[in-house]
Amino acid sequence: MSIHIHHISKTFGSFQALKNVDLEVKTGELVALLGPSGSGKTTLLRIIAGLEFADAGDGSIQFHGTDVTNHSAYERKAGFVFQNYALFNHMTVAENIAFGLRVMPRATRPDREDIDKAVTELLRRIALEGYGSRYPSQLSGGQKQRVALARALAVGPQVLLLDEPFGALDAKVRKTLRKWLRQFHNETKVTTLFVTHDQDEAFELADRVVVLHEGDIQQIGSPQQLREHPKNEFVADFLDCVMI
Amino acid sequence: MAAIIDIAPTNASRPRKATSDSLVSRVLIIGTAVGFMGLMFVLPLVVIFQEAFRKGWEGFVEAFDDRATMHAIWLTLKVAAITVPLNTLFGLAAAWCVSRFQFRGKRLLTSLIELPLWVSPIIAGMVYVLLFGAQGLFGPALKEHGIKIIFALPGIVLSTIFVTFTFVARILAPQMEAQGQAEEEAAMTLGANGFQMFWRVTLPKIKWGLLYGIILCNARSMGEFGAVSVVSGHIRNKTNTVPLHIEVLYNEYQFVPAFAVASMLALLALVTLILKTLTTTRRGAA
Repeated sequence: MSIHIHHISKTFGSFQALKNVDLEVKTGELVALLGPSGSGKTTLLRIIAGLEFADAGDGSIQFHGTDVTNHSAYERKAGFVFQNYALFNHMTVAENIAFGLRVMPRATRPDREDIDKAVTELLRRIALEGYGSRYPSQLSGGQKQRVALARALAVGPQVLLLDEPFGALDAKVRKTLRKWLRQFHNETKVTTLFVTHDQDEAFELADRVVVLHEGDIQQIGSPQQLREHPKNEFVADFLDCVMI
Repeated sequence: MAAIIDIAPTNASRPRKATSDSLVSRVLIIGTAVGFMGLMFVLPLVVIFQEAFRKGWEGFVEAFDDRATMHAIWLTLKVAAITVPLNTLFGLAAAWCVSRFQFRGKRLLTSLIELPLWVSPIIAGMVYVLLFGAQGLFGPALKEHGIKIIFALPGIVLSTIFVTFTFVARILAPQMEAQGQAEEEAAMTLGANGFQMFWRVTLPKIKWGLLYGIILCNARSMGEFGAVSVVSGHIRNKTNTVPLHIEVLYNEYQFVPAFAVASMLALLALVTLILKTLTTTRRGAA
């Protein structure tokens, strides 16, 4: 499913977090939002998920041609993974993953056995078989983040939004998870947008990288394009490469 | 070098901390605290039960074989049964409001929540008399429609709600603020509606704090004297709650019944204390 962002602005008090942002993410793409802290990348992601609403104006967000600008987060059902996992600590790993299925309206909700089956399958995919009855507090950071991902995927979202998904993890785990996510994306081809301030991460993972600075998109392009042809001083400086 | 290595395993005494005090000052401080608690809290409790059982178990039981006493207990239960659920709802709503939204006047709302703590209960009673009493602002209008608030159950409930409003809200607001709302946001993106989010995510997170607030609210609503005293009118078999009834008994020199009924309130306080301790430990563990 594609995401179409048109003229989105967001102000918090007197601070303008996003300035007239336009962006298109194609179906099946893996796109990174890259920028320093305070560049508006997380705000943009939260607006896409419906956790935050853009300033009133001519701005709009479309999911595969459908205007969702005024839809609430639970109507949009974009899979969202938080930097600090935001797992439900009072539920087991299996209950966490099953949550999205269990809150479905009765008419569309799968029955108990199907939910169990789906959970087992997801646990296998995140390589945490047999961890279903544990609680989040008994998991390591990397395991928690994989559970968070499985929880988001359980409802079969057409868009996956990741907010600094590896930000709280140590370097080694981060690298492993990165590889794993890329492979995972190759298999599932879910349209994915992820936020990071780590350029290595963005370059290694993404098909295209969006560089943000002070609420403005500086440049959009493939890792290679960015590296070889940084559009302005900021991009060159931020990516630590020389402007040619 | 060897000496340095040796220190840890051979030094069996407790390691001395920079903040530890000398034995004398420790004994003095702990002694004062324990002595004060004993004199001010434990001794009175003992006296209440001693007086209640002065004429033995039979005297104690006899004290409850009285229409006015039973009516007072029944009335107090009724007041608590109305007040506690309402204040649980109000408290939840207020805590939700304060912890989840940024709005003008939030500070004012936060301090209003604490109002019952720094306003004398007698004022809480007075304002309702001034509003709904015969000479009050709405008095004539109420009389015309035959509605009685002051010197009746509604007045008692209103002033009790005022006095006990603070507990649930005050305990939940900081807790909910500290927990943040990432889990709620996660629930929403997973397709949970507002009710499902509250029931499955928020409530389990706050349940021990909520229970703690409800327990305190209940204890206070059953024990409130000042505010209720003003609006009740002390009509025996009609508007006397347990605390008011104890005063009546005491003033009539019926010491055993007075203390027997008082021991019920003391028991309630003890049960509250135990439940409070339990919920606090659970709250810490969660």
